[in-house]
Amino acid sequence: MVPTPITALGVALAVLTAAGPAAPPAFAASGTIKIGVPVPLSGSYASAGEDILNGAKLAAEHINANGGVLGKNIEIVAEDDACDAQSAVQAAQKLIDNGVVAVAGGYCSSAALPEVTPLRRAGIAYVLDASTNPKLTEMGYPNVLRVIGRDDEQGPFAADFMANFLNAKRAAVINDNTTYAKGLADATVKALKGYHVEVVYDNAITPGQMDYTPVLTRVSSLKPDVTYYTGYFSEAGLMVKEAKQINMPGRFMGGDATNSPVLLKTAGPAADGMLITTAPLAQFLSGAKGYVAEYEKQFHAPPGPYSVYEYDSIGVVAQAIKDAGSDKPSAIIEALHKIKDYNGLTGSITFNKNGDRTRAVYIVIEVKNDQFVPFARLNDNGKWELMKQ
Amino acid sequence: MDIFAQLLIQGLTIGSFYALVALGYTMVYGIIRLINFAHGDLFMVGAFVGWSVLTPLIGARLHWGLAVLAALAASTLFTGALGVFVDRAAYQPLLNAPRLSILITALGVSLALENSVLIIYGPGFSTYPHILSNAGFPIGAAHISWAQLGIIGSSLVLMLALYVFVHRTYVGTAMRALAVDQDAARLMGINVERVIQLTFFIGSALAAVAGVMEGVYYTQINFFMGFLLGLRAFTAAVLGGIGNIPGAMAGGILIGLLEAFFSGYLSSQWTDVFVFGILIAVLTVKPTGLFGERVVERM
Repeated sequence: MVPTPITALGVALAVLTAAGPAAPPAFAASGTIKIGVPVPLSGSYASAGEDILNGAKLAAEHINANGGVLGKNIEIVAEDDACDAQSAVQAAQKLIDNGVVAVAGGYCSSAALPEVTPLRRAGIAYVLDASTNPKLTEMGYPNVLRVIGRDDEQGPFAADFMANFLNAKRAAVINDNTTYAKGLADATVKALKGYHVEVVYDNAITPGQMDYTPVLTRVSSLKPDVTYYTGYFSEAGLMVKEAKQINMPGRFMGGDATNSPVLLKTAGPAADGMLITTAPLAQFLSGAKGYVAEYEKQFHAPPGPYSVYEYDSIGVVAQAIKDAGSDKPSAIIEALHKIKDYNGLTGSITFNKNGDRTRAVYIVIEVKNDQFVPFARLNDNGKWELMKQ
Repeated sequence: MDIFAQLLIQGLTIGSFYALVALGYTMVYGIIRLINFAHGDLFMVGAFVGWSVLTPLIGARLHWGLAVLAALAASTLFTGALGVFVDRAAYQPLLNAPRLSILITALGVSLALENSVLIIYGPGFSTYPHILSNAGFPIGAAHISWAQLGIIGSSLVLMLALYVFVHRTYVGTAMRALAVDQDAARLMGINVERVIQLTFFIGSALAAVAGVMEGVYYTQINFFMGFLLGLRAFTAAVLGGIGNIPGAMAGGILIGLLEAFFSGYLSSQWTDVFVFGILIAVLTVKPTGLFGERVVERM
């Protein structure tokens, strides 16, 4: 889940910053291989974009230290998409004009979607690190690939967890009727039925209200073993608090859009024990321990939720260039689809025919003493195991 | 488990907020025939002023009861004064202009207030300190917390006090006179501008009380919180008969109960359809609302 705001200020800044560093295209073309990174570098989500860009820089540094690809160094070309459709199209166009051979990045799905069109026309690959809207890869364009899970993959994962880890017999699923939340709820309910878990409640609330106790009272009376809310963090914070107020039976769970400090602040101690399904943060990935340390040392900040996925995005692009033996954009696209079991920090990466990652990684985290801590994951044999905290 | 009693308590709690805010809509409409679209945002400003006062006081380990009282006092005074200022700056100059102009102005005030808070406090959520426990006592199969009792009780007391004020005092009589005929009231020696300002002050102060109570009880506030609640409260005022004070109280409680029972017993995603459907049905049968005395102006 990635939010989708439109900030006028952001657009203005984007235009200003875009006008600033006019790249000298004539000289840089020969010695390096350019990979474009469109991310928000202005506006509300600038910090997320900064994290992702840092992940890309770290990846390029490592690749170049190991001899680069095809004897050339990787050069990261960043462009500000401001998490806004209009700036995003301009950013994509600038990357194309700048001579990038592939693009790896993106944050907001609403910016990534319009970026696809100019990139597809130019025949350039776009590897997404953070944008989870299913539509991006459903459009059937071979140049779009993604190393992170999709919103409609999280539902089956959550259902598996409820059925096989929590051993739930009765589940309640609540959404807020937004595209993302409804999609996640529908996918979860469908998968729950496959596990023969009885779905005792499947309905939507109106977001923006304060009091959800009537709905929760109804859900309580149905005695669910687990209640899964697929909407956003602000309502989730109120609901988990109100659920405790009315002593709702069973565990309260949320989708990845509830993974926010606002939830902790709103619910306070009432959030303790809440479970959330989400893509793992870098610090929870066993393969990324060295990455977290190096990132923090170099950038003096935690790596954020998506930078490690960007690191792997750049990694697969470099691998594809090596495999193709060429930095021709069309050859890269072809090679990307042939990548098999690329050993990334976020796990093994293979793409299906849509360009989605075959085994998307999700984990379950728990709220404990006002913090998110890792809780459970599926191991390589498809069995659930507790994670070390 | 029978959930009737529990839903009743929840409906009354929700309805108390609607009723307190509905009073402001109905008082202003009663006096100057203006649907004050900015009223929901005054509620929101009230919540933010309360937050600004309460958070440092709780941080300084003041007793929470005193801190809430201080926040209520500061918030009602500030928001009341803001209501008066809005009236002076935006509405009074247009009192004799076509109704549409003043209505559009109200929308403008609403946007101005929302964006001011957005700039000052930021676009995210602010959180009240967690000071209320869930302690209370059982009523049959249901549980009512002291906080819920406090919300329902204090809004009832405020509504009764307002009713007595409007119907038993000299100033209240002046308000009612103004509602009937402004020019005649002026001829009787009533200071029309002053009475209108007082009306705005009281309506805004009641919204501020609701705002602070909402913040303390639900803990989460943001600059857009006045929109949905304002809409529901306005509906409550119309349902009860806009311009009528007992009507606004009854309408607020009724909408709260309908919302709770409908989402508790039937389908929560259809609640809005149902609640607003009831509104349409009532207005079709009785265009003046449940308690209304005069026909709502067509817009």
